[in-house]
Amino acid sequence: MDYKGDIYYIEQTLAGNSISFSYLVDRHKNKAYNLAFRICGNHEEAEELAQDSFLKAYRSLKSFKMKSSFATWLYRIVYNTAISHVRIKKKGVLSLEDFPADATDFIGSNTSEEEAEKDYRNALVNFALQKINEDERGLISLYYYEEMTAEEISDVTGLSKSNIKVKLFRARQKMLEIIEKIEKKNLIYHG
Amino acid sequence: MDKQEKYEEDLLRQYIGPGKIENAPEGFTSKIMEHILLETKTLSVPERSWKKNLVPLISVAVTALLIASAFLIPHTHNDSLINPVLNLIRNIKFSMPEFKASSLFRLSLPSVTIYVFIGIVILSVFDRALYGLFHRAK
Repeated sequence: MDYKGDIYYIEQTLAGNSISFSYLVDRHKNKAYNLAFRICGNHEEAEELAQDSFLKAYRSLKSFKMKSSFATWLYRIVYNTAISHVRIKKKGVLSLEDFPADATDFIGSNTSEEEAEKDYRNALVNFALQKINEDERGLISLYYYEEMTAEEISDVTGLSKSNIKVKLFRARQKMLEIIEKIEKKNLIYHG
Repeated sequence: MDKQEKYEEDLLRQYIGPGKIENAPEGFTSKIMEHILLETKTLSVPERSWKKNLVPLISVAVTALLIASAFLIPHTHNDSLINPVLNLIRNIKFSMPEFKASSLFRLSLPSVTIYVFIGIVILSVFDRALYGLFHRAK
């Protein structure tokens, strides 16, 4: 179906046509879900957080001033909802031993070696993401998965551009350190 | 961005990419819409019935207040500020058919009661008609 643009569906929703909001959900659900998942690291919680964020967006749609894009505004809601959820529900610290797998463990009956390698890398990144703090997790997700610029991230998080750059630099270093340690450990373990 | 930072960024890009997005599960949109439609229903129903009844309620309350004040205010000339108004009302000549409320209902009610009652009925019908007209226009 022809998508008429976010503003059209926002106006329709505000005029009382609630069904129009489903077009906005359909368009942005994957990115919103992905951001929630990268921050909380759990599929069930991510679904709940993303749904909660869409409901918050629906309830406060009147306050959306259209100064930024709807996506940026929505990401801000998802980001804040997920960060505060993770802060309340602080999990125990993961040890490197919690990630015993290497690429061969991801080869299923229907997956190629290449697919298994991708899944392994994805799992590795998710693990490393859970080892850094929630703010850094959010920044990494916005920068790498959503491919946002520092300026766009600043709109979402409310942090200054220079602060974002510093935090991204630290988060990147921490993640690479964790990934390196796991890869080294797997190399020793599996020969 | 210095060389080391660029190197680290590229290194992490090997693991993370926009291609690996976790998609929302099946039925995600319908679950949200269910919530929203339920919310819209529960919010709009009490509001509508509240608005619907407000105007007739106010008109009945004001009419009752006027009738009560007409009976309760003393009939002496200098004891109330409303007396000039009451006098003015008393001097208005009605050219309406005269009803004998007492003969109709075998009750000892003042003759003005029947006019007040007819007035309330007309106002209520008029109010319902306007309400229907405006809500259809929406």
